[in-house]
Amino acid sequence: MTLQECYQALDGNYDDVLGRLRSERLVQKFVLKFLDDKSYELLCSSMEAENWQEAFRASHTIKGMCQNLSFTRLQQSSSNLTESLRNGWTPEAVPLLDQVKQDYQQAAAAIGELKASLGL
Amino acid sequence: MKNKTTRFLVCSVMIAAVLCVGVFGFLAFYMNRISSEIMSELGTVYMTGMNERITKHFETTIDYRLSHMEDLINTNSAEKEDYLEWLAYSAKARGFECLALYSSDGTFQMIYGDQVQVTDPEPFLHSMNNGEKKVAVGTDSKGTDLVLVGISAVYPMRNGKECTALVGGITVDYIKKVLALDEENALVYSHVIRKDGSFVIRSADAYRDNYFDRIWETFGDMNGKSAESYVEELKFAMEKEENYSTVLRLSGERRNLYCTALPYSEWYLITVMPYGEMDVIVDELSNQWFQMAFFSGGAILLIMLMIFLGYFRLAKKQMKELEAAIEKAELASRAKSEFLSNMSHDIRTPMNAIVGMTAIATANLDNPQQVQNCLRKISLSGRHLLGLVNDVLDMAKIESGKMTLNMDRVSLREVLDGIVGIIQPQIKAKRQNFDVRLRDIISECVFCDSVRLNQVLLNFLSNAVKFTPDEGHIALSLYQEPSSKGDDFVRVHLEVEDDGIGMSKEFQTKIFDSFTREDGARVQKTEGTGLGMAITKFIVDAMDGTIEVQSEQGKGSRFHVVLDLQKAIEQEADMVLPNWTMLVVDDDRMLCESTVAALSSIGVTADWALDGETAVKMVLEHHQRQDDYHIILLDWKLPGMDGVETAREIRRTLGDAVPIILISSYDWSEIEDRARQVGVSGFIGKPLFKSTLFYGLRPFAEAFDKELVPLPPQQTDFHGAQILLAEDNDLNWEIAEALLTDIGLKLDWAENGQICVEMYRNSAPGYYKAVLMDIRMPVMNGYQATEAIRAMTSRPDHDIPIIAMTADAFAEDVQKCLNSGMNAHIAKPIDVVEVSKLLEKFIK
Repeated sequence: MTLQECYQALDGNYDDVLGRLRSERLVQKFVLKFLDDKSYELLCSSMEAENWQEAFRASHTIKGMCQNLSFTRLQQSSSNLTESLRNGWTPEAVPLLDQVKQDYQQAAAAIGELKASLGL
Repeated sequence: MKNKTTRFLVCSVMIAAVLCVGVFGFLAFYMNRISSEIMSELGTVYMTGMNERITKHFETTIDYRLSHMEDLINTNSAEKEDYLEWLAYSAKARGFECLALYSSDGTFQMIYGDQVQVTDPEPFLHSMNNGEKKVAVGTDSKGTDLVLVGISAVYPMRNGKECTALVGGITVDYIKKVLALDEENALVYSHVIRKDGSFVIRSADAYRDNYFDRIWETFGDMNGKSAESYVEELKFAMEKEENYSTVLRLSGERRNLYCTALPYSEWYLITVMPYGEMDVIVDELSNQWFQMAFFSGGAILLIMLMIFLGYFRLAKKQMKELEAAIEKAELASRAKSEFLSNMSHDIRTPMNAIVGMTAIATANLDNPQQVQNCLRKISLSGRHLLGLVNDVLDMAKIESGKMTLNMDRVSLREVLDGIVGIIQPQIKAKRQNFDVRLRDIISECVFCDSVRLNQVLLNFLSNAVKFTPDEGHIALSLYQEPSSKGDDFVRVHLEVEDDGIGMSKEFQTKIFDSFTREDGARVQKTEGTGLGMAITKFIVDAMDGTIEVQSEQGKGSRFHVVLDLQKAIEQEADMVLPNWTMLVVDDDRMLCESTVAALSSIGVTADWALDGETAVKMVLEHHQRQDDYHIILLDWKLPGMDGVETAREIRRTLGDAVPIILISSYDWSEIEDRARQVGVSGFIGKPLFKSTLFYGLRPFAEAFDKELVPLPPQQTDFHGAQILLAEDNDLNWEIAEALLTDIGLKLDWAENGQICVEMYRNSAPGYYKAVLMDIRMPVMNGYQATEAIRAMTSRPDHDIPIIAMTADAFAEDVQKCLNSGMNAHIAKPIDVVEVSKLLEKFIK
């Protein structure tokens, strides 16, 4: 799987990210590092612990990373979740979290495949 | 020389034998003589004693008889009436045979007994008339020999006269008995003779009347003296009343004769001792002497012979050894001089490279790359040459086993690069096909003596070049496998294969001996010292490795070296290439596979093809799928369409977009122009180690990055302006750093607001030119941090530009930022152009 195919799989904008980072190498490097970030775990645990403020921050971080990497789909869902949590808990947060989870899994799977095809 | 020695030895033995016989013979003869002389002396001494004893005895006997006679006279004086009866009676009692009165005119008046007559009356009568005592021999009327003892006495005779002496007779046998003259089995016998030689008393077998006659007749020649001279000597001695002793041969045997005068008489005692028995003893002794001499001489001869033979054998053996040593020395000297004159083989190979490369460099002075290439090879060859010369000088050291290995960290890539560089010109000169094969590389860096390893491989290769005809094939293979020595070691296999003239089975057994080269017409014209293989074997042995040789005449040779070398930890500084798809084209499937494996380990996916036609087809297919290969590695020598043609074909369909790189174990200088013309972008030399590929492809990676997305032309450079970046997320930090460093900014990272404040507080005023502030951070958020910085009014730079960087891009967020004291707001994702524009505005 190529990097481009990966972007297709996780529903991101490859051209956009390449335009900003200007190097496929850099893009690949950061994409591969995406899964190392602990914000997603923090989000999940904070939601469970009903620490809405922390959950908001985590969601916000995910959104920021996705913006940087042009992971359009996950960026959208995490942005929605962020907004739903900005002023504390709202009922929309629960389905939005599920959406984030789903999109994150999709991205993680795509990146995993990319990793595998690189032999890492 | 051998004959001479043999003759000398034989002569010596013979001389020794003769000497031995002579000395012992002389010794035996001399001892015999001495013993016989001693015998004579002993005989003389014995005879002297014997004669004295007999003489004494005779004297005593005569004295005794005379005393009897005196007794008769004293006890029976003439006054007595019947003195004659008394005389007779007394004389009979004393054992006289007869008794008579002797008148002065020499007539006997018998008192009793038969009438006697003196055999030689003259001296007897004379002595009697002179009143002396005397004995004489006489006979009675019966013819019985009597010894007459006379003593002066005066008795009236019948004729009225007075007698002059009284004479008593005793039998000769009595004298004989008393004197033991006639004893049987006695060693000696004696005679009593008169001056004229006539016998008074004879004993033994003497029957003649005269003893001299006896000498005359029984005399046997001895010592050349005649019987006459003996008799004369005897007579002379008798005349002078001297004792006489001599040895003479009588009746066929040696006898000792001794003669002394007897008292009271005109007689002489002759004592004779035959040597007979003594001679037997002496003969036996001398026989024994001879035997002893013979045997000891023989024994000595035998021992000497044995010693000689032993010595001879020893000398012969030594001679043989000497001959062998001489032969060996001559061989060694010949080999050494041959070696000196033929040293060219090992030295000429790198020397040729130097000379050739110098010429090429001179011819291409305007082509710096070419010159550099040449210089690199010259220095490699020079270094090898230096090592080799050192080896030759140290040959003695090597042979005596004192060579040591200089184990150091060695890159196999560098070693093979160097060797390929050295050997290339020779291969080119013979238009041979050369291939370097690499597979299963576990560890590129190992601990080894690189000079020696070079030497081993170069020796194999230069031999392969030498013994392979023009346009033949030579291949160098390197592969590795886990070593049995442990995880720290790797087993390195090095193979040099050719399809040259090969070697005979006999030669294969001694190929590793010094100064050997196969004989035969086909090798004669090939130069060489024959030292290379010996050194090679020694080096591999010293490395605890093994060499295996497989060869067949006319088919080719294969040298296989196996070494267990310690792995060196590789400094693989992030060998990662972009995620390319590449195509590897080589006719060696093994090389393709190992290259693909090596490429994948540095982040490149690759396909491979075995010939040019397939490669072109594959490139086309990918092109049609809009999925072009990023780089194509193309072997130069390919079956059918060669590398250059393939490159031309690909260029024709693809255009110039895709870099095409030629891979080759040959020197590409000669095809470079042609290759460049058809659009080949570069060259990578075999063997293709991972590092070879990485360093060879990296320039294309940089070009690739640049080519793909050119930097905006209005790019600003901030010349290392120091920026403080507060960002809690690693990934975002890294992205920001990567992007902003590119435009000449230097970034310090604060992981949250509080750290940001601290770092700012601790920095020198004016050190940071700006702060890029994330808003959502743990511990202290961006707003609070900004307020804290702005609150440091004591610092001249508390109004430092602070730019918010956040994912929140709503207007109210922006307002909030500005309210907290920030100068501007940038929404994520970070856009370099936007950031640089903003910073440009705030940093003067």
